Amino acid sequence: MEKRNKWGLLVAPLYAFTLLFVLGPMVYMVLVSFARNNGDGYGFFWRFTTENYTKIADPVYLQCFVQSFKLAFSTTFFVILLGYPFGYFMARLSERGKRRMMFLIMVPFWTSSLLRLYGWIIILQAKGVMNAALMGLGILKKPLKILYSYPAVLIGMIYALLPFMILSVYSSVEKMDWSLTEAARDLGASPFQAFLTVTFKLTLPGLLSGVILTFIPSMGLFFIADILGGNKIVLVGSLIQDQLTRGSNWPFAAALAVILTVLTSLMIFFYRKITHVKDLEEIF
Amino acid sequence: MKKKVFAIALAAAALSMTTAVQAEENKELVLYTWEGMFPQEVLDGFTEQTGTKVIYSNFDTDETMLEKLAQAKGGDYDLVIADDYIIEQAVEEGLVGEIDKDIVTNFGNINPIYQGQFYDPDDKYTVPYGAGIPLIVYDPEMTDLDIRGYQDLWDPSLEDSVAILANYRVINGITLLSMGKSMNEEDVDTIAAAGEKLLELAPNIRMIQDDNTQNALLNGEASVAFLYTSQVTAALNENPDLKVVYPEEGLGFGIMGAFIPSKAPNAKAANEFLNYILEPDIFAQCMNYIGYINTNQAADAQMNPALVYSGDEINGEYIENISAQADEQQNKNWTEFKAACGAE
Repeated sequence: MEKRNKWGLLVAPLYAFTLLFVLGPMVYMVLVSFARNNGDGYGFFWRFTTENYTKIADPVYLQCFVQSFKLAFSTTFFVILLGYPFGYFMARLSERGKRRMMFLIMVPFWTSSLLRLYGWIIILQAKGVMNAALMGLGILKKPLKILYSYPAVLIGMIYALLPFMILSVYSSVEKMDWSLTEAARDLGASPFQAFLTVTFKLTLPGLLSGVILTFIPSMGLFFIADILGGNKIVLVGSLIQDQLTRGSNWPFAAALAVILTVLTSLMIFFYRKITHVKDLEEIF
Repeated sequence: MKKKVFAIALAAAALSMTTAVQAEENKELVLYTWEGMFPQEVLDGFTEQTGTKVIYSNFDTDETMLEKLAQAKGGDYDLVIADDYIIEQAVEEGLVGEIDKDIVTNFGNINPIYQGQFYDPDDKYTVPYGAGIPLIVYDPEMTDLDIRGYQDLWDPSLEDSVAILANYRVINGITLLSMGKSMNEEDVDTIAAAGEKLLELAPNIRMIQDDNTQNALLNGEASVAFLYTSQVTAALNENPDLKVVYPEEGLGFGIMGAFIPSKAPNAKAANEFLNYILEPDIFAQCMNYIGYINTNQAADAQMNPALVYSGDEINGEYIENISAQADEQQNKNWTEFKAACGAE
């Protein structure tokens, strides 16, 4: 009992930090979301109202939520499609191969993500690298107008989030006990059956933490949509930013953020329900 | 006796020292404006001529400036350069001092079309330092359309090829202008109608961005762009074949003005500085550097011709504050418009 208290003291700063800088702002945000906006300028009044929430039901704003979820789902889908096999095969490499691959995955993080996005503009633009190559090879006659479109945003999102999926899948495949798969094979399972019933199930926590690491940020990475989408795809994130700055309607921004948080938490809850995974892969 | 003389001498010395220190202090001019508003040579030139050192202090937004100036009660800073609407507020709050026209003998060089404006109707407080007008720029190689005004941006031949600024007041404003209304329209139904019209523009929009919008035009993403003045200049520097259009429906104007705060520590130096920059060659150097429309008629001859507005009067208006309801409707128009642009 005494021992426990000692440890408790050690984690106290962390608790204090969480209370002060995570829970505190959250509570404040919820409170602000019920406050009344000052229409004629900056600030708001502490007078209770639910109008910020009823305003979200306006089709214009609902559309932003739909757009955000659509993008988050498609990003997650493609990231799984690319990231799972990548992480799986990476874990099967030799020790040296693994180290090299890990290095290659980490290298881009040494550059600011904003700079890397501008790199994508150079690749995708009408007079850019990709179009020059495709036209040079005679595949295309006219340049593709891909920049400032939905596919460009999707490419940017997948690019930004893929490493997180690869790393979580990798770490769970790496830890797997292969004798279980061998046992399944010995008992007559085909390689595919063994993969599906043993390997896949055992690596599901890795996949799920990958999904969470992809899905949650993709709800918030609105700057990718702004830069590669030419500001045309309005996500909840950019709507919140707009309301905080230009629109100067903090209560409405807070209400949007609350709804976004609730919806995202619900999504995670459902993911875990569907996949029956209790523990997420610990990679950090 | 001797002691007394010594004491007086000492006092005199001390006195002369303090005056020396004061003179030293007065050799500074605290200039408060955005970053990059003057070429370094111009600032150095002033120090060479007068021995007064220029301390360059920046702010990000007009609002920050006003708050700091209000806290200093009109002191601390000797010269401020900011936007028209904020100057109006500063004057109302008594933070602005009058210009000494005995020192600023070059005051007459100012182009009268930029004088007598809403923020300084009697020209007592400000020297205009550049005007901004968002303009249409297009690449004649990419479109056959002879563009004359905002209405042409709606032309079906421009599908997916127009780049515009991300300023909701400006974009709502030009839509209202294209309907023959004011940029500062207060009637919510009219603004909603402008919103409907704006939706029809959506298929033509290639991108919406506030920074470096000219790049879309230069790298071939867009054939027409609606740009801030400094971006127009940047685009023309890169590609002189681009065509600039002063839209026939009227322009959205913004003027940057220099003013001396009411309790400026060194108002004399500030007046001297204003007189110095109003010299035609210095002013032209400044305007060519920042890329804004020239507001000094004596400097026109030395200007990049694209930065000289040829009209006799301002065919346009300023974006001013509108009511909360009107603003809310404009915000809604803008969100709907952006969503429509993103719809496939």
